Amino acid sequence: MNAADLVIDAQGIVNRFGDVVVHEGLNLAVPRGAIMALVGGSGSGKTVLVRSLLLLRAPSGGTLQLFGQDALAASDAQRQALRQRIGVLFQGGALFTGLTVLENVLLPLREQGLVDKRLLPELGMLKIGLAGLPADAAHKYPAELSGGMVKRAALARALALDPELLVLDEPTSGLDPIGGAAFDQLIRELRDLLGLTILQVTHDLDSIWHGSDTVAFLARKKMLAVGPAAELAQRDEPELVAYFRGSRSAAYLHEMTHETNSRG
Amino acid sequence: MTASSTAYAPATLNWMAQEDAPERRVCRLQGAWNAQGLAREPNTHLPAGTRHVTLDASATTLDTPGALLLVRSMAQWQSAGATVDVSGLSPPQQQLLDLVRQRALALPSAARRLGLLGDIGRATLIALNELRALLAFVGELVWRGAPLLLQPWRVRWREVIHEIDAAGLRAIGIIGLLSFLIGMVMAYQAGATLATYGANILIVNLVSIITLRELGPLLTAILVAGRTGSSYTAQIGTMRITEEVDALRALGLSPFEMLVLPKVIALVITLPLLALFADVMGLAGGGVVAAVGYGVPLSEYVARIPQVVGLKTLVLGLVKAPVFAVVIALVGCMQGLRVAGSAAAVGRATTVSVVQAIFLVIVIDASFSVLYNLLHL
Repeated sequence: MNAADLVIDAQGIVNRFGDVVVHEGLNLAVPRGAIMALVGGSGSGKTVLVRSLLLLRAPSGGTLQLFGQDALAASDAQRQALRQRIGVLFQGGALFTGLTVLENVLLPLREQGLVDKRLLPELGMLKIGLAGLPADAAHKYPAELSGGMVKRAALARALALDPELLVLDEPTSGLDPIGGAAFDQLIRELRDLLGLTILQVTHDLDSIWHGSDTVAFLARKKMLAVGPAAELAQRDEPELVAYFRGSRSAAYLHEMTHETNSRG
Repeated sequence: MTASSTAYAPATLNWMAQEDAPERRVCRLQGAWNAQGLAREPNTHLPAGTRHVTLDASATTLDTPGALLLVRSMAQWQSAGATVDVSGLSPPQQQLLDLVRQRALALPSAARRLGLLGDIGRATLIALNELRALLAFVGELVWRGAPLLLQPWRVRWREVIHEIDAAGLRAIGIIGLLSFLIGMVMAYQAGATLATYGANILIVNLVSIITLRELGPLLTAILVAGRTGSSYTAQIGTMRITEEVDALRALGLSPFEMLVLPKVIALVITLPLLALFADVMGLAGGGVVAAVGYGVPLSEYVARIPQVVGLKTLVLGLVKAPVFAVVIALVGCMQGLRVAGSAAAVGRATTVSVVQAIFLVIVIDASFSVLYNLLHL
């Protein structure tokens, strides 16, 4: 694959806390336009990896290229510019409680002083619409929103600066299965419409099997396997067997073999 | 999609009239139609007399802000009676324009602003609602507290003792010091006038009556409202945010019995004692100034107090203290339990709690004065 088409290209990432090694020589390549699920057991270092990719934490070793630029050697101003090209949806939403949804969405735009002020309210409403929220949510405060609406409002804020890469930390956690499926659908739609690249940390089997093109499986301090879920389910590493052939995955496996049979 | 050389150039529209047909114009988009390029909104007015626009977007980059402005401008031109053709859009750009057309939401109007009369009405309703909530809370206290009077072993005395320690013992220093200082100030003010008539000894009358009947209990109540009432609100409010209150309910425990009642009982016990202590310290402060500044011997000052104020004055002052205590504890707990939502709500509730408690304490104090006057006490 052409290196220029990689939105994230991390090579040999090492993350260490004192004596505890979390990642040792981890490689991750996310091509433009992908929807990649980052998967792994609790404590496998997903959050640490995401924080490294978002330039919130300097890895102890390795190289990291974002949009083809060396992110670790970049100056502060360059890092700031790189961060503006990445939208982040934090797990709890991390909406600012003192601001309405619209104000939350407009905050990054206002603070960066980019778009003309007269365009801002309309632009904010567009992002709110893109995230699938109704118009009357604009003037509500985060405390007045349901869990699913908080996620959508946080997504609207993540989209504020027209990012090229969207990083989602457990976007469907705390949503009911129907809401979760709708969110997966929304993510896919945004990828298609806005040409986004999406990296999502998730435990939601539905998102892994149906909501992502590729699954990156984090175990043994590195990327144990990268590929479509159906492919990972065929592998024989014990971690992958436990994750993809456990009782909860049975339905997805069944569905997969069914599809293969009917196709064959 | 992004040509780096034009990424930050301001977005502009370049109008070109065709010589043979002045009502037909080509509008070429230039610069970057993205967040950076739209730091200032370009002039999108349709040149006068234009009936037909051919929009050429081939030389530009387009982001959602640019697409939004473009969609809006085209709608304006069309409503002004011009027809619009678009050329030179790449498929993703065309898709973006369609997306903006479909998904843009109208900005809902913010909460409608009322006039002065409306504001007064709303403020009145809010105040009445607060009053009703407080009365309901008093009702709940009686409803749930009365049975406990008959079964005192069900009261959580450990919590009561803990609250007495926090609200009483730890407040002794500050309340003693402030009462002493207020006593001094009163003696100075009284002495300055009385000394001109050679009636220095009357300082005792003034200081002791004002301290015992009014200032001792009132000052204590105000300090306790600021110090303890606020902490009740913050504690219970935070427990609401972290769902601890709901957890109590879900475990079949009554937050009222666990949280509110011990605080009320503790304050009803503590506040009169603190007020008595404030009385003593206030008299002491007055005595020091009378002795040092106005030549009233301390022994005479002390001997004269029982002659000018009877036990009745002391009791009339201290009787108010338990009433203040109930009001402060109830307002503090009620505001805490009404917290909903965010961290900011705890801060707001704490402010409201202190203001309300002090307001009610002073109103009640004034009511007592009127009542005493009517009863000739």
